[in-house]
Amino acid sequence: MRNKILVIGCGRLGAAIANESFTKGDNVLVMDADKGSFDRLSDVFSGYTITADATDVNALEDAGIDNVRTVVITTGNDNVNLFLAHVCDRIYHVPHVYVRFDDPDKGVLVKGYNIIPIYPFQLTHDKFLALRNQEDKK
Amino acid sequence: MKIIVAGGTFEAEYIIKMFHKKDNQLVVINNSKEEAELILKRERVAVYVGDPWRNYVLEEAHAEDADVFIALCERDCDNFASCLLAKKCFGAKKCICVVNNPTNVDLYKTLGIDSVISSTYLLGQSVKTESSVEELMKTLSLENNKIVIVEAVILSKYKIAGKKLMNIAFPKYAAISCIYRAGQVVIPNGQVDIRTRDKLLIACAPEDQNKVMAFIEQEK
Repeated sequence: MRNKILVIGCGRLGAAIANESFTKGDNVLVMDADKGSFDRLSDVFSGYTITADATDVNALEDAGIDNVRTVVITTGNDNVNLFLAHVCDRIYHVPHVYVRFDDPDKGVLVKGYNIIPIYPFQLTHDKFLALRNQEDKK
Repeated sequence: MKIIVAGGTFEAEYIIKMFHKKDNQLVVINNSKEEAELILKRERVAVYVGDPWRNYVLEEAHAEDADVFIALCERDCDNFASCLLAKKCFGAKKCICVVNNPTNVDLYKTLGIDSVISSTYLLGQSVKTESSVEELMKTLSLENNKIVIVEAVILSKYKIAGKKLMNIAFPKYAAISCIYRAGQVVIPNGQVDIRTRDKLLIACAPEDQNKVMAFIEQEK
C-alpha cells in the first residue's frame, strides 16, 4: 500500500518537512547521502533515516519507493532533483512528486508530467512584490 | 552536421578532433575555464564557458537545432539535465549522454535520452560477447537491440562449408551482409561459395538470432 512520504535531501527544508510530516502522523522516510545531515531532525523524530545516494535507483528501491505516496525532493543540486523527479514520476509512478528548484528555468523540463515544482526564487520574488504593494497602499 | 560538445576533458578534445571538419559546425561548451583554454589552444575551436544544463548558456552559445548533442560532463545527472534541455527546448535531433554508473544506461534511455554510453556497461557487454559460444559466434546489437549482427566463423564440419550460396537454403529472416575471408571483404552473391574459416556477418532480428546460429551450426 502506498502510504509513505519520502523526503530526499535532509537539508533545512527537507528536515523541516520531515519533522512536520512525522508530527502530523505520517509514515516518514528521509534519505540523504550524508549521515550528519540527520542531526537536523528533531529529537522526537522517529521515522526512518536512510543514508544513501538517491541518484542510485537501487537505493530508491531498497527504500521501498513502490510504497511511497508522496515524495519531496529537496537536495541542494537542481540537476539531481530534476533527475529524481523524472524517475519517481515516470519509472515508479509515485502519485505525488514535489521538487524544489533554485533555477526557475527548470520548470519547462518537468512540464507535462505529474511533477509539482517549487521555486524559492519565485516565492521570495512574489512575496516581495506583495509586500511592496502593501507598502505603496499605505 | 551541427554538433554540440558539452563538458568533458580529454574525451571532449578527442571528439572535437574527430569532427572538426569543414562540413561540421561545432559548438563547444565547457564549464571549466581552464579546459576551455586548453581546447582553444590545442584544437583551435572557440569554446563557450558555462554550464550546459543552463538555459541561457545554450541560448548564448547558439546551441539550437543540433543534429547531435553530446554530454560529457563528470556527473551523470548533469549530463541528463543537459540532454533533456537540449532535446526539449533547443530541438536537438539526437542526444548522446555519457554516464559513470552503468545502471543508468537503461534508465536514461527509458527517460528519453537517445543514446547512453557507459564504459563499464560496454566492458560488461564486451565480456559477455567474448565469452559466448566458444568464440565462434559473436553478436553486436544495433538500434537499441532491434537488429543484431551475428558474426559466425565457419568450421569444416558445418553443412554449409564448401557450398555456393545459391545452393544453400538460407533462412529468409536473415541476410549475410558480408564475408570476411583472409583479410579481405567479400560481398556475397549466389556464385560465392562459403569456405572453412570464413567469417560471416549476418544481420537479423534478435528473436531470430538463435535460429540463425542453429542453421549455421548444422553439421554434415
